[in-house]
Amino acid sequence: MLLNAVIIILREVLEAALIVSVFLALSQLLNRKLWWMLIAMVMGFAGAYVYAINLSQISMALEGTGQEVLNASLHSLIFICLLIFMISVPHQARPGWRRLNLFTIVLAVIIAIVREGSEIILYIKGFYGIPELLHPVLIGGAVGAGIGLSVGVFFYYLLVNMHKRSGIWLGYLMLLLVGGSMIAQAVEFMIQADYISASAPLWDSSHLVSERSAIGQLLYALLGYEATPAPQQAAAYFGSIALLVIAACVSFFFRSKSS
Amino acid sequence: MKSIRLFLLLALLATITLVNFVALLHGYQSSMEKAQSLFDSRLESTARLIAAANSENAVQQTIAEQQTPYTYFQIWDSGGKQLLTRSRNAPELMPGELSEGFHEINHASYRWRNFIYRDQHLNRWIVVAERSDVRYSLAEEVVLESLLPIVLAIPVAALIIWLAVGVGLKPLRQFADQVRHKRVDDLSPITLEHVPHELTSVVSNTNALLGRLEDAFQREQRFASDAAHELRTPISVLKVHLHNLRKRLGDEDEDISLLKTGIERMGHLIEQILALYRSSPDQASVQFEHVDLTKLAQQVIADEFMTIEQKQQHISLEGETAMIEGNRFALETLLHNLLSNAHKYSPSGSDIRVSVAQKAHRVELTVEDSGPGIPASEYERVFERFYRLQGDRHDSGELGCGLGLTIVKHIADLHQADIQLGTSSIGQGLSVKIIFQQEEPH
Repeated sequence: MLLNAVIIILREVLEAALIVSVFLALSQLLNRKLWWMLIAMVMGFAGAYVYAINLSQISMALEGTGQEVLNASLHSLIFICLLIFMISVPHQARPGWRRLNLFTIVLAVIIAIVREGSEIILYIKGFYGIPELLHPVLIGGAVGAGIGLSVGVFFYYLLVNMHKRSGIWLGYLMLLLVGGSMIAQAVEFMIQADYISASAPLWDSSHLVSERSAIGQLLYALLGYEATPAPQQAAAYFGSIALLVIAACVSFFFRSKSS
Repeated sequence: MKSIRLFLLLALLATITLVNFVALLHGYQSSMEKAQSLFDSRLESTARLIAAANSENAVQQTIAEQQTPYTYFQIWDSGGKQLLTRSRNAPELMPGELSEGFHEINHASYRWRNFIYRDQHLNRWIVVAERSDVRYSLAEEVVLESLLPIVLAIPVAALIIWLAVGVGLKPLRQFADQVRHKRVDDLSPITLEHVPHELTSVVSNTNALLGRLEDAFQREQRFASDAAHELRTPISVLKVHLHNLRKRLGDEDEDISLLKTGIERMGHLIEQILALYRSSPDQASVQFEHVDLTKLAQQVIADEFMTIEQKQQHISLEGETAMIEGNRFALETLLHNLLSNAHKYSPSGSDIRVSVAQKAHRVELTVEDSGPGIPASEYERVFERFYRLQGDRHDSGELGCGLGLTIVKHIADLHQADIQLGTSSIGQGLSVKIIFQQEEPH
């Protein structure tokens, strides 16, 4: 029970911690006010709680596919935030773009915490009333959260203590991978809800790195690693990363042209 | 990095958490394996015990005194065809193949782990089984008891790290406090109770720098004092010669008049430059004392009264006792400069108003004249050294060198006071308001 709890909580916390730490580091490197992040985190936790307590109504919506569709929408929204963030960074000298840039950071952090936080609340809530299971789940949850948050702290300090330019580029790279992972997960939810037809996995690398191992969880959070991805997931993953790269390049091109 | 203390807390805590929790998971897996192996040993011992305790090798009744629902046993004949006896909750069939050792089987909707023992003595089979989920839960319960303190220790570790880092950074904090709270005139060395190795060079280099700075200030002070003496003396001599010349040639001579103006201008310039130097906020030798600003203003007005009277100007002073922490000489210079400006630029017979107002935690000194005033766009520039309104085209005809308001600004900065320029309430003249905070200036 403890190991299951560690893996499930670690997966959720690690993903949210990476998004928050990368945005926190980029905010600092791009001279943004950090207290916005605190507000975003508080709003994220509140949103996660609201999501968790309304899950039964959400699940029943859209002929029983409400939860999958909402999760896919939340992941897609995070991707859109990342896309706007990438486009707006080169123009942040202008106040309007700067506000838009800050807004996308705050929104992405809120959604990431709502999404991952609600999963954690639902998982732990499932064991209320079963003390013999709740005890190991809580300990496992604490261990998973502790490992996930520690990795987030290391990533944050790694980015802010690097040379500023390198820190920003590494932060961008991580956001590209997070963006790809978000769209791949959105596609996975749409396959689960039968909006996209399922296909045979493109490959099976579970014998190399199992998704349930600690390395698998870290790779999942960092790169969106899937041991058995559907062809649609792989296409969405690489396509979304390419879209982010193209959008960022075009935006940089227009900035250098206008300056 | 916003805070060294926060960085050390988070970095150390993250390291401890990561290392501890990964080790904890490894320990958990090892402990669970060990617990399973102990349960297996117990199962094997139970099988042997049942074999020793039950010596009947014939069919018996089912044993009803079974207390624990998660264990059972069976005794089969040599061929495994006939069940000789069993506990009440045991199946009546042979679970899986009959071979000696441990096996995993399904029974009554649960997974069970059994041990099959071949009783050589009575030529029969003993089967003992336990529910796997109960074994796992029992093992986990025991292991969790040992893991819980490690998880609970993390907040305690956070508190201890926070306090320890705070103690470790104390010399740095003391150093920063001393630097932050140093008065502008305090160039004494920084002293710490205990100087850690990492701060030794910082403290010694800072103290060496403060020492060099003090030496430089003293040299500058000596130079200014010497220069003042050396420049004042020849001007005084020049004035005597001018006086003698006027007596001999008379006051009507235009050259004599120009010479007089030139000598007065030179004398005024030297006095102002010396005042500017003495009032510099960087000046290390300034001493502060309790000063009654209203009383000081009265005294300065009395000093300037004869000059003001020459233009038939009317000067008034409003205000009651208003104590501030300041340097008496510098404040006198400030008032002299303000009154001198008001007198110079106000026409004959006009009014000059001085007021000292006691407000909450501050004292406001205001000098208002009836002169032409200063355009708001020039408010910033008039504090620059040697800046005169309208530059060389200045047509007031008054003796001036463009240092008066610079000196006022220096003295205000020295007292951490704010200056507000505005339009006088009497006519279109200038209003200069100096706001002194009633706190001990650092």
